[in-house]
Amino acid sequence: MSDPRAFLAFDLGTATSSVALIARVGHRWRLIGGLSMPAGVELDAIVALVLERATTADPPLARLIGSDVDDAVTSLPRLIARSAQPRRLAVVAASERALAPLSDAARRSGWLVTAASPERVDPLGVTTSLLDPAVDAVLVGAGEPPGADERRSLDEVASLVAAAAVRRPELTIVLAGAMSERLERFEAAGEQRQGELLLAPAATSGDPVGRPLRELLEDLRAPADDSRRAIARAAAALADAIDRRVEIVDIGFNGGLRATASPGIGGARGSANASFVADACLVPPDVDDAAVDRVLAWSTVPIDRHRLRDRLRELRLAPWADAAGVGARLRLAAARAALAVLVEATPAQSAEAAPDLIVATGGAWAVAPGPAVALAVADVVRRPAALGIALDHARLLAPFGSIPDGTERRQLMGDVVDDMLAPLASVIIPGGVRAGHAAGRMTVHAGSGTTDLELVPGSLELVDLPPGEVGTAELRFRDTVRLGGRGRHFAVDVAGGLGGLLLDLRDVPLRLPDRLDRRRELLESWQDSLWVTRDR
Amino acid sequence: MIDSGIELVQRRVVVDDRTDIRFALHPGDRALVGSGDTVVPGTRVVERVRDPRLVDVPAPNVDADARPGDRWMRPTSADAGQMRRGPGPSAGELLFEAGGRWRLATGEHVEHIETPVAGVVRDVRAGIGVTLQAEGRILRGVEVLGDPTRGVLAGAGIEHGGEAVPGLFLRPGSLDVGLAGSILVVGSRIEAETLTRARAMGLRGVIVAGLAGKERRDFMASESRQRAALHRLPTFAVLVLDGAFRRPIASPIAAVLHALVGREVAIVTDPPGLVFNEPAIEFDPPAPDLVRVRGGEHAGREGHWVGLAGLRRFVGGTFLEAGWVHVGGPAPVAIALADLERFG
Repeated sequence: MSDPRAFLAFDLGTATSSVALIARVGHRWRLIGGLSMPAGVELDAIVALVLERATTADPPLARLIGSDVDDAVTSLPRLIARSAQPRRLAVVAASERALAPLSDAARRSGWLVTAASPERVDPLGVTTSLLDPAVDAVLVGAGEPPGADERRSLDEVASLVAAAAVRRPELTIVLAGAMSERLERFEAAGEQRQGELLLAPAATSGDPVGRPLRELLEDLRAPADDSRRAIARAAAALADAIDRRVEIVDIGFNGGLRATASPGIGGARGSANASFVADACLVPPDVDDAAVDRVLAWSTVPIDRHRLRDRLRELRLAPWADAAGVGARLRLAAARAALAVLVEATPAQSAEAAPDLIVATGGAWAVAPGPAVALAVADVVRRPAALGIALDHARLLAPFGSIPDGTERRQLMGDVVDDMLAPLASVIIPGGVRAGHAAGRMTVHAGSGTTDLELVPGSLELVDLPPGEVGTAELRFRDTVRLGGRGRHFAVDVAGGLGGLLLDLRDVPLRLPDRLDRRRELLESWQDSLWVTRDR
Repeated sequence: MIDSGIELVQRRVVVDDRTDIRFALHPGDRALVGSGDTVVPGTRVVERVRDPRLVDVPAPNVDADARPGDRWMRPTSADAGQMRRGPGPSAGELLFEAGGRWRLATGEHVEHIETPVAGVVRDVRAGIGVTLQAEGRILRGVEVLGDPTRGVLAGAGIEHGGEAVPGLFLRPGSLDVGLAGSILVVGSRIEAETLTRARAMGLRGVIVAGLAGKERRDFMASESRQRAALHRLPTFAVLVLDGAFRRPIASPIAAVLHALVGREVAIVTDPPGLVFNEPAIEFDPPAPDLVRVRGGEHAGREGHWVGLAGLRRFVGGTFLEAGWVHVGGPAPVAIALADLERFG
């Protein structure tokens, strides 16, 4: 099709299907409309509704871009990103010490992980886990060179995995580090093999450590057009398009993605880093005690453990159901818990320079009020910095990231960026603020006037700054704090959002009371300030 | 003419025509059927080792061309070498060879798993599973606790012309031995105590719309104790149709169950569902505008689709796409599309 004036962008997740209509208006691409629905809904029905609404809203525009023709549902070009189904990797090593970096690499590349070593699981247990039909691939590794604790069991581990490979010829086997030297055992194991036999670097090799193995495992987990991998590419394009450091946090049904990207400087290419953690899903497939505890820690709803477990199980079975009222608050508590898992699993990305913009995306945020999403992100991704928080409301990052040509991807992103990112809030999070009396003052100069605030340690202050408005915040602290750099006087540019400007003087990282009732009251008081439309 | 917006409501399949069911095999277990075998209900398909353990045998005592997964039998000839001297295992499943010895999985006590359905064995893989192409149709649930089982369907929760009784709650005292051998439909929810009593009275299974996590945990603990006993009761299974919350069985599903009352049915665990082989029974398709509320304020209620309501503000300041549904009141109410399901 030559030079289409409009196309449809699809992000097809495991739980959510999103459709967006993009059209060329004037000399640039614009987002015309979009809709997210549960994944079981017929796609053409969603497309038809999006097109119908676009036509009703602006008939001349619909005529211009050709979205009002009878066969538009099927004739408009489609740009599709699809989430790969979750896959399970069995990780085996000769010792617990050798197992840890292998498991870490596997967990950060999006696999569901079953880990075992002969130190803690007997060979019968390891064989049982390898023969489990839910396991799609096996990573068996050793240090390079193998440690003294590994050498004694290396042969037995290799024999055990090779025997499982004989019984399951469809399994993909990855030999990492010194285990590669035992390749002949696996080659001899079967001429009938359908699964791949791959050699991989040790889990402790590369810079940053483990990256080569992670990249290999990511390639193995999902095809290149997988939504999560596409979002990682889109992060780099977005950073280039807006010339800012960007962090994307995606919480979905089957995992969470954290992608950080910096724009290129002086013709050099920018940098990007992404981790996809299956454990950082909205609700795990098996709601165990740990999962209940994680959500309970963020819940603002008075609920006992049994009822919460039931609600989480229902959320797993029907992730879009019961999304209003108490359901909305529990969903946001689950999203916070998942985000905390994601942040904890990616310490290297937390150590990078703070981003200028955090973009939230994924089904977990799809139906929550925007300001509440901003607070949820600020609660968990705590960086001593001034940053913006935005929402990829039409879920365009994945389809845009699936465009193979990098230049085309950046151009499209540059055109649509203002439409695709809903500004949620600007957040100022100073670090190292001493508890006690007033820490200083802040003055916000914006088009609508000047606001003056006292800086109270531990507080969360909200300054009304609507979307589209920009201003400058001047902060004068009594003592030295961290806000990007260290100092006492700062002036930062701020932009408006649905939640306005948040001055967050709470601890970094956030410290909450141990007692659940007090913790709940505190979380609720913070949330009340932003979830302003909530019915009481 | 149904408003076209109903396509935006998720469809739930009531009955599937064909299905493959799977019996799990673990290392040490033995398949008693082969690929291509035709089986009838009650055929033993798996010999399960109750407490598998790992033992070593010297490699010379194993055939030179043996492969992992092969069955090993204790040599009986005078050439058995050191195997003669010890009380070692008489049989087991070869796992792997290392250091001149084979590791094998074996156990003292075995129990037999019978297929509750007729069909043709499609695949047998030692240590992995037996796959059976089942004859008949399947009504899918979300979870099964227990073992595959078979019995005559009896309905406590589907009286009143096939309508599920909202909020029906079966007490332990409601059960009697007259129900032995049956699979009982109990409606919206059940307690662990009732499940335990049902199993003790010889019922073969229970079908329930929702099972709360606490009851699930208590029943599983009881089931675990039962498994540990030497003299086991007949197989028993709990089929959960919807999830963890209390809600009535959906009327199209209740209609299927009602039609099957008095017939032999089977509960299978993988996939979780109710299998029945009654080709003579035909089910009327549900009304095309029938929708059921899956979650939220009206959870469990059914009604008729009226049309799209557009983006609506719901409790808690959440904006959701909604549809108008008649749920019995004088006027239709707006319900989030994501809370609805239709049947097909």
